[in-house]
Amino acid sequence: MTVISSKKTLFFLYKKINGGVNVKKKYLIISFLLLVLSFMMIACTSEETTNEKETDKEKETATEPEKEKEVKVDPFDHSEKYAITGMTFRFGDPPPLSSPGLNMINERFNVDYKPEIIPQGDYIEKSSAIVASGSMPDLIGFPGTDTRFYQWAEEGAFLPLDDYLSHYETLGNIPDYIYNSFKVDGKIYGIPRYSQPYPVTPIIRKDWLDKLGLEIPTNYEELEKVAIAFTKNDPDGNGKADTYGVAIGENINPNFNMGTYWDFNAWYHQNNNGDFIPGVISDGRKDLVQFFANLYKEGAMTKDFAVLDWASTNTEFYSGKAGIFVGGVSGMSEAYFEGLLTINPDAQLVAIPPFEAPDKSKGFTIGSGYSGILALNAKLAGDEGKIYRALEMVDFGKKYYPSDTKNPQNADFDFYLGKEGTGYNMENGAAVQVPTFSSEGLSPSTYFLDNREQVPTDADINYADAYKLPELKEMTTTLQEMFESNKLYVDPSYGVLSPTNQEKGTELLQFLINEQSKMIVGQRAISDWETLVEEYMKKGGEAIIKEVNEGIKAKGYTEREWK
Amino acid sequence: MFKLTGRERVMDIMNNVLLLIISLTMLFPFFYIFSVSFSSVSDVLNSEFLLWPKDWVTDAYSYILGSDQFIRSLWVTIYITVVGTFVNLVFTSTMAYGLTRNIIGQRVILFLVLFTVLFSAGMIPTYIIVKETGLLNSLWALIIPVAISPFNLIIMTQFFKGIPEELTEAALIDGATDIQIFSKIILPLSKPALAAFGLFYAVGHWNSYFSGVLYLNDPAKWPIQVILRQIVIVNEPNAALGGHAAMLEALPPPETVQMAAILLATLPILIVYPFLQKHFAKGVMLGSVKG
Repeated sequence: MTVISSKKTLFFLYKKINGGVNVKKKYLIISFLLLVLSFMMIACTSEETTNEKETDKEKETATEPEKEKEVKVDPFDHSEKYAITGMTFRFGDPPPLSSPGLNMINERFNVDYKPEIIPQGDYIEKSSAIVASGSMPDLIGFPGTDTRFYQWAEEGAFLPLDDYLSHYETLGNIPDYIYNSFKVDGKIYGIPRYSQPYPVTPIIRKDWLDKLGLEIPTNYEELEKVAIAFTKNDPDGNGKADTYGVAIGENINPNFNMGTYWDFNAWYHQNNNGDFIPGVISDGRKDLVQFFANLYKEGAMTKDFAVLDWASTNTEFYSGKAGIFVGGVSGMSEAYFEGLLTINPDAQLVAIPPFEAPDKSKGFTIGSGYSGILALNAKLAGDEGKIYRALEMVDFGKKYYPSDTKNPQNADFDFYLGKEGTGYNMENGAAVQVPTFSSEGLSPSTYFLDNREQVPTDADINYADAYKLPELKEMTTTLQEMFESNKLYVDPSYGVLSPTNQEKGTELLQFLINEQSKMIVGQRAISDWETLVEEYMKKGGEAIIKEVNEGIKAKGYTEREWK
Repeated sequence: MFKLTGRERVMDIMNNVLLLIISLTMLFPFFYIFSVSFSSVSDVLNSEFLLWPKDWVTDAYSYILGSDQFIRSLWVTIYITVVGTFVNLVFTSTMAYGLTRNIIGQRVILFLVLFTVLFSAGMIPTYIIVKETGLLNSLWALIIPVAISPFNLIIMTQFFKGIPEELTEAALIDGATDIQIFSKIILPLSKPALAAFGLFYAVGHWNSYFSGVLYLNDPAKWPIQVILRQIVIVNEPNAALGGHAAMLEALPPPETVQMAAILLATLPILIVYPFLQKHFAKGVMLGSVKG
């Protein structure tokens, strides 16, 4: 389409410049257009060949070394200075390129460190351009869902890290199951970015429940009744019908699973052959879609959910319009919560404990344990000293400080936040970073590509400590207590690689979610469920299920595991 | 002037009403942005106002102007716009003029220019060129690669061709050099064209954002549109598909701040616009009639 129209414009322009066509010129124009066409062909095909060449190059550089490993290098010897480059994504504003914080890192590790921190929204495009231009940095970060990591690792772009990790206090103690979940060809090619194991789960307005004399729901029928009561019985008591039950946005998100049985993401259900199937085509999901369809009919959930982005979905809840949403033990926005409190000063949020499923199971799904991967460039191979230095920095950036050691007396911590009085101040016994710590680069912490504390599995954390708002602390406590008193399901599909899933998985999931959205609003009958599942199977679902189950069996996983 | 009949009058009134409604729909978003930016966060969340702020507060503005980043990036954008537009005009007009003269290889050059209208190299090859020429992390990376817009060049060539040949011939006989002819005769006659293209280019520079993200590593050099994008569209993670880890991580600042940022970033070009708008209309007609 565009080719034709652009050809026309070209022809038109050509005519215009030459002031009309005469007969003699006709052959010239025809040959010219032919030339253009052939160029178009070349333009369409050339891209792929260059890509291949590039990956070939990377392969060569990757397979070469390994021989020189015999040389003994002290991992913590700082006598030689190394230039280390890196890039990663960041939510929020990146720090400046030169600053006190960066100087501190350079001095401590004896390096010339050049981290490039790119806003998350533009990361994929920019990092692709940088890598394609042949200048992949020494360290490179990937968001948790970025499939480029697996592709590039297979092509040999990254350094296998298995032999190095044991030297490091933090990196060496990350549980194996996390490393296993993103191994490629049996090797570890990256460092996981920490994510706490507790999932994001439904929360409810306790003050509204109390006002209407209702209890915290324990099954979907009760939840439905509560949502409808929130819609019709004026829970905020302002005399206006301006509230409703469930705040939900595009892609049926949050998914409001009240346990793994209904979790669209978990591989929990089994088919007749005993193979695990993805939650999104399970009976549990079907029940959940029916539940949403009921709510939709009653107006008890966000009406325009199909087109509402995540920020607006949050606004629906934090503006006091909806009474049921989701929360997590960490990462909650205090600003949003404060907004809710200015509108509804009595607002009280509590966790909804998991429901008992038809198969008597009860509990949510445990998180994968990581939210991103940091890989090392394969070209580092052979330069042991530099690898050790780079890993030492990564290790330091991820170090965990128990809350009673977060003070200036702890030299590492004091360094990490950029020295007391400059990068942070002690207020009521807690370290509080100065507002400009990132924008002026005062803390070294902002420059570590992965600056998430790697919380040890046995750490005794009180998640509420991270917040200032008493109401938010309270909610966090209810969530933590709930998780600690319930078992969490370990998804057997974690760490299982399925080529078909990598290739088509996202697209297929999107297809299912779109169709299920239609079922919720009544554009497609829920009785059509079996047809939908069949469509999914035909489009590649069958291959995914087969591959994932082979992987699950290879891991030796037989019984469903709850932690 | 002749008298309007009743029907024509009705027609006129209906026309005006219709146009009024259309222009209101255009103005409404601006006005909404303006009002939200001066409202308090809780009023906006509560939807307690329709079009006029309930209480006038400037919190959003002090939040944005509190850090020097916003102002700094505004200056960067002004710099790119002024310098960039100047560079654009110099290169476009000189090349266009050159192409109106009978020089060797004129056809070939014109063909090459036309070629780039149809085929652009794409992001990665362009990135490599910028990198290899050492422009990376320099503001010139936003100016030099877009120094000449081929489309504008062709139209400007047409415009120059419209200037009567006799003028240049007369100047030649008087002993003027090519450069003199260009600067003393052609340019003064082309002021409307220069104004129009200057505006095209300037608006382009003002609104460009992706090249800023791509070529500049230093956040201190980012133009205003990059900052604006950071504030307004905070990296919407596809939360449903990305798992719960990404869900709570990135929430944008309150709507009031977003609106204030939009207003501040639009204001400068909004102020200049009405005065230059007439050239826009002229610019569209340029080169459409051959002299």
